[in-house]
Amino acid sequence: MEPVIQFEDVVKIYPLKSGDVTALNHISFAVERGEFISIMGPSGSGKSTLLTLMGCLDKPTFGTISMSGIPIRDMSDVELTSLRRDRIGFIFQYFNLFPLLNIIENVSFPQMLKGGVNVEKAKEVLRAVQLDEHLYTHTPLELSGGQQQRVAVARSLINDPDILLCDEPTGNLDSKTGASIMELMTQLNKKGATIIVVTHDPNVANYTNRTIRIIDGRIAA
Amino acid sequence: MTAIFWEIAKRNIRLHMLRSTLAMLGIVIGVVAIASMGILGNSMVASVSESLNSVGDSVIVSPYSGGGDGMGPGGGGGGSSANLKITDQNYQQIKRAVAPNVAIPVLSTSERMSVGVGSDDIVATIYGVDTQYIPDLSLVLTSGVYNNADSGCLVGSEFATDNNVKVGSRISMGSDGQYGTLRVTGIIEERGMSFDLSTDNAVVATQGWYESTFGSNDEYDQVVVKVKEGQDTAEVKKIIEKQLNRRDKIVSVTDSKATLDSLYATFGTITTFVTAIGGISMIVAGVSIFNIMMMSVNERIKEIGIMRSIGTQKKEVMSMFIYEAAIIGVIGSIVGGILSILAGYAVSALMLGTTEYLWTISTAISVSEGVGFGIVICLACGIYPAWQAANLNPIDALRHE
Repeated sequence: MEPVIQFEDVVKIYPLKSGDVTALNHISFAVERGEFISIMGPSGSGKSTLLTLMGCLDKPTFGTISMSGIPIRDMSDVELTSLRRDRIGFIFQYFNLFPLLNIIENVSFPQMLKGGVNVEKAKEVLRAVQLDEHLYTHTPLELSGGQQQRVAVARSLINDPDILLCDEPTGNLDSKTGASIMELMTQLNKKGATIIVVTHDPNVANYTNRTIRIIDGRIAA
Repeated sequence: MTAIFWEIAKRNIRLHMLRSTLAMLGIVIGVVAIASMGILGNSMVASVSESLNSVGDSVIVSPYSGGGDGMGPGGGGGGSSANLKITDQNYQQIKRAVAPNVAIPVLSTSERMSVGVGSDDIVATIYGVDTQYIPDLSLVLTSGVYNNADSGCLVGSEFATDNNVKVGSRISMGSDGQYGTLRVTGIIEERGMSFDLSTDNAVVATQGWYESTFGSNDEYDQVVVKVKEGQDTAEVKKIIEKQLNRRDKIVSVTDSKATLDSLYATFGTITTFVTAIGGISMIVAGVSIFNIMMMSVNERIKEIGIMRSIGTQKKEVMSMFIYEAAIIGVIGSIVGGILSILAGYAVSALMLGTTEYLWTISTAISVSEGVGFGIVICLACGIYPAWQAANLNPIDALRHE
């Protein structure tokens, strides 16, 4: 079976007036289906660039990135956007829910982008992330940080993506709530979800099966 | 497009109700300015054309004064000059040339007169018209009958009201009644501005009385040709000019229809001008829409970044902001359209004294133009902010604090 994500000799250079910055320098790795991976590294090491490339928000300067065997290099913006909608689930540090929508609408949002709404499916994923049912019609600002992050996880799962990309998912939570979110991730991984977590926190990395360390744009281990 | 973006646009407007309402208010003012000016202009044209149409299709022939083709001597002052007359020979030529249309010779002057014993002298225009032609002048009487004796006269409505004249009243003509008295047989309905006889503040006496009082040299101050329906006034004018001005220009010929057309064209220009001034307020409203849409985009950069990262297409982001501008534009324009009808009603009632010209197709067109312009301006001013939102780099937008 094709890897969910495959990086082959990927280089990412940001051209700046003060001189080009090489954020990723000849990176190659593959993420197999069902893996639970953490990406660690100091600030400025290239973690965020790696995440934006894995999330198909950007394209490499050199090298090849394939999603389930399909190279993204020649994809148009519309195709990349559809790919993000259908195959990738994003979870952010600051939850990033839509304040104008209630919980059910937030979770259903990626589904609506595909042109259909299945409220039962939304409720199903909300139950999977263990959010109390009475909160479904509340707005995000009426929920605690942990509850908001559960909703964000539910939103990322709604379109049955190939992979979940998490950017410091516990970075804005207290340690207890953070641990409960990581427990949730672990459960999802056990059910088959492929998860990549970018983090500074070794405690978070301990939940994952494999850690990729990035230093100065290169994979260290 | 996905319904959720319409919903988000509505909720964002509700969230920023004050800001959105102020932007709508700008559009309301713009639409009212444009539409009510249009309504007022159309009502004025309708009002003036109705009063002028009462003169029918006339061609006025007056002596050539050397000052170009003016409006003729029909003005209330009876602008005839002792030296400038149309001879009877010329009149006969006109009469023959325009047949079967009726050519009415008219004498006119201004003279002192008084009504009742001991009352002050007043000055008014006196017309002398052959009694056989009075029906052809389409003078509508509010009371009394046409006079057919030299001792009788008709008076205009304003003259009657100002001097408390009724049917049967006697008017002493000239200072100290030197020209005798005339008995009022009928009062002419208000005619307003007219091309032939301005009767509102005038006395219409018989040609016989006029000539016996002021003398006659078989000359007239003007000739009014009443053009029959179906005939072209311009053609009649051309015939008269060809006949009389062959060698020297001896008469000025005014075609009422052409003059009316040029008057309407002038009204149209004035209406367009004031509507354009109203359009400036719409442009200002458009700038405020642009401003709040830019604010809306700037406040929601992060939200746009999240939307784009989880799979929202550029056109969907764009639609969300276009919907927002459209909601403000449509509500503001419709409210403005309703208010402009009310404003048009109020302004027509105050300035024209009537609202009968309000409920016309041209009012509907003016309101539709105002509403349409309001919506178009809102959409146009929403397009750039929406385009900017859609084209934000999702990575930069996500990092935005």
